[in-house]
Amino acid sequence: MIGDTLELIVVAVDDIASSLRHVRLAAAGGGPLPPAAAGANIQLRLQGAARTWRNAYSLISPPGRRDAYEIIVRRVPESRGGSAFVHEVLKPGDRLVASWPSNLFAPQRTARHHLMIAGGIGITPFLSYVADFAHSGASHALHVCCRESETGTFAPWLQACGELHHYWDADGHRLDIPALLARQPAGTHLYVCGPAALNDEVIQAAANAGWPASHVHCEHFGAALSGGTPFTAFLSRSGIEVEVGESESLLEAIERVGAAAPCLCRGGACGVCVTRVLEGEPEHRDHYLGAAEREGGELIMPCVSRARSTRLVLDL
Amino acid sequence: MMQSQIVSRPRYRDLAAEDTAGTHLLIVEGDTLAAGQMAALATAFAVVAARLQTWLVSAPATALAPGRVRRLHTVEEARTALEHIEDGFGIADRLYLQGTEPFMWSLATAAGRAGLSPTQIRMQHAGSLKRRVWCTHCHQTTENVTTNIATCAGCARALLVRDHFSRRLGAFMGVMVDAEVPGEVPQREEVFR
Amino acid sequence: MSLVFKPEETFRGDYSYRNSDAAILRFPFPFPEDRYMYSVNIEPHVRSGPTDAFCRPFDIDEHYIAECRDRALTLELDPGRCQVLPHMMTAQWDTLELLMENLAADYPEQFSLTKEGDVFGSRWTWINRPLGIEQHFIFGDPDTLPCEPFEYITRQAQGDFAICDQREDNLYLDAGMITSQADWSLAFNVGMNFMEWHGPVPLAHQAGVFERALKYLLMLRLGQPVRRLNWTMSINPRLDTSPESYPEWGPDRASVTVENAGGKVHLRVELQTLWRLPRSNAILFPIRCFLISIEELARVPKWGKRLYRVLSSLPPELAEYKGLTRYLPATLAWLAPLDDSAQLATGIGPDITELAPL
Repeated sequence: MIGDTLELIVVAVDDIASSLRHVRLAAAGGGPLPPAAAGANIQLRLQGAARTWRNAYSLISPPGRRDAYEIIVRRVPESRGGSAFVHEVLKPGDRLVASWPSNLFAPQRTARHHLMIAGGIGITPFLSYVADFAHSGASHALHVCCRESETGTFAPWLQACGELHHYWDADGHRLDIPALLARQPAGTHLYVCGPAALNDEVIQAAANAGWPASHVHCEHFGAALSGGTPFTAFLSRSGIEVEVGESESLLEAIERVGAAAPCLCRGGACGVCVTRVLEGEPEHRDHYLGAAEREGGELIMPCVSRARSTRLVLDL
Repeated sequence: MMQSQIVSRPRYRDLAAEDTAGTHLLIVEGDTLAAGQMAALATAFAVVAARLQTWLVSAPATALAPGRVRRLHTVEEARTALEHIEDGFGIADRLYLQGTEPFMWSLATAAGRAGLSPTQIRMQHAGSLKRRVWCTHCHQTTENVTTNIATCAGCARALLVRDHFSRRLGAFMGVMVDAEVPGEVPQREEVFR
Repeated sequence: MSLVFKPEETFRGDYSYRNSDAAILRFPFPFPEDRYMYSVNIEPHVRSGPTDAFCRPFDIDEHYIAECRDRALTLELDPGRCQVLPHMMTAQWDTLELLMENLAADYPEQFSLTKEGDVFGSRWTWINRPLGIEQHFIFGDPDTLPCEPFEYITRQAQGDFAICDQREDNLYLDAGMITSQADWSLAFNVGMNFMEWHGPVPLAHQAGVFERALKYLLMLRLGQPVRRLNWTMSINPRLDTSPESYPEWGPDRASVTVENAGGKVHLRVELQTLWRLPRSNAILFPIRCFLISIEELARVPKWGKRLYRVLSSLPPELAEYKGLTRYLPATLAWLAPLDDSAQLATGIGPDITELAPL
């Protein structure tokens, strides 16, 4: 049970809704895959004609399944191409390389009750949570905010869900977040995963309602999907100058020119890719640096952050 | 002895109310109350006065307190009451404890069993520095220890009272002080008065 | 690799434990240089290393049966050496799977694992030939094993095991099978977080060693185990040097003379590995204990000389914390004649393939 990458083969693809594609992946050489935890994700290397994407997706398969991994990918209109590749190009029989499962959003084993709030595609990590809780018998409730037409989309994966509620944007059907949060017993842990606006609203409401911060957990989805203004990055140690395009991240540009840059989550959360800035002004989009570090301008997380200035000089 | 080489030894701060919408429960060890302290507490808790309950444990009958007051005789009574709170604790509730370390940790561990997380509990030390000591050999606890070497109430060994503290047990570690050369026991000093 | 077990060896009482020549040469000697300093000395746990003891995910050796017997005896006397907090059941199964799969793969003559499936509810069969065990059970159902899965499998492995739950940007010591520790109490420490249980270690906190180590461990990846070495010394080859039984082994520290030091004083090395567990996302922390008398160790000339140099330059706080103070003078007196002040190669390896005669 030691390894770095996995060779996977696409077993099946299935369009479960107009913008949602379910993909089933198995080990290319046969044999069992490493088991994964609830909340785990894998990073897929998607090799397109013109470029390669490395995108992380939550595993929705029940934790511990070793015969296959399942993911659900949303087609993102403003994406830099990774999700379009999955929807339009990927087909059964295709092989791709993936990371081993990693996990920045595991359930809290000491919780007396797990309260989950999902927005749109943010429901995906909770599908594995629900499978885990169904087996262990842990108390849980899932509150899903979505479009009215999509309330049944994930039903196949929610059969064993204890308490399940759907909400959509119409009178009488909206989620009253403060009311939900106010009535929870001690020992409850709150998890939110959805668009940034929902995440921020829930986190703020929890703080206002007196939730201890250690009981509030968030997986940030879609933070890195949008690009930005192109800029130049100069890697001072390798002497390479790279143009960062509007639809690629700084990290992707660095990788494109062959420079070595450690990374892990590729979502601005884990801290592994932290890099020193020698010149220029970063535009921070991460969830890792503290306020003082951001203001200091000497550090950057290349996987999600960009530049305010036209040029950055990095200690790479 | 509130400072220590052992960085993990608990440290205590003056109590201040955290203004949340839940219930605020203040439990005070009555015989650690200094003059004027209750008035200071009332000021510190003014912002949550409407949601404040105060339990006075073994306090003089004349002692006044802010919020809705309940009087209890012993820490055991308070511990049992915590474990049987009607409807249990909520995520926005807060528990504030004032007293000696053994008093506070008896209640903190009971509150933990009732579902409260450590971040919902605040502690302010008052009164004696006496310690509860857990014997590494017989696993019994010895109460009211004020000396650096204590006689174990369970197995009678002479224990060195260390600063290593277990929040789960609410006690300091005691290890036999003369295991290597039986009878070679250092001078006992009253360091936790 | 053929293993010849010595089932009747003892780690208490008459202390009949001895290392064969092969066991001496594979010993994980912990000092690459003539001075010892704390560091976050973590490296990938790969299938290669300075001696054979590093080369397998989970190592067993000629002492396997005897160690399992000693563990069983310790547990009988003090069941509190195995503790598992209630929320750790998934981590227990992760640990059982990891140990069974690796032992069966690396020691096929000794162990076999047959699975009818990979998920909870599957029927598995485990065979442990050295201990004479054949166990049919349902993976995920504790009622189909004689005791809970963590206790079950760690009773059949060498070394201590701790499992840390990862939460609140910290690690919590929420399970342990601890029968060969260097003087810390599981019953006291269970439930503590990383900073709390390392509280008593001198010097390292100021150096920021624990902050960096914790940050690193929080990012430990599935499939990428790491390892490091820790060391101390013991009098007699005693595995159970717990605080609990200190009254039994403590007096031995005062019994050392320069005449008897060679056979009594032991170097005790922990090969610690760290594994991300798949379903629970917890961290498994195996602590594999290796014991060697300084008399056996001296048969590797480089190691005898280096040990003398390390011990004679050790800071007093460290010697105190490791419990060496009382017998350090006699130990140094025994080792001193070995040191010819020759330049020694850096690195841990013995640099010989055959031992000097006794």
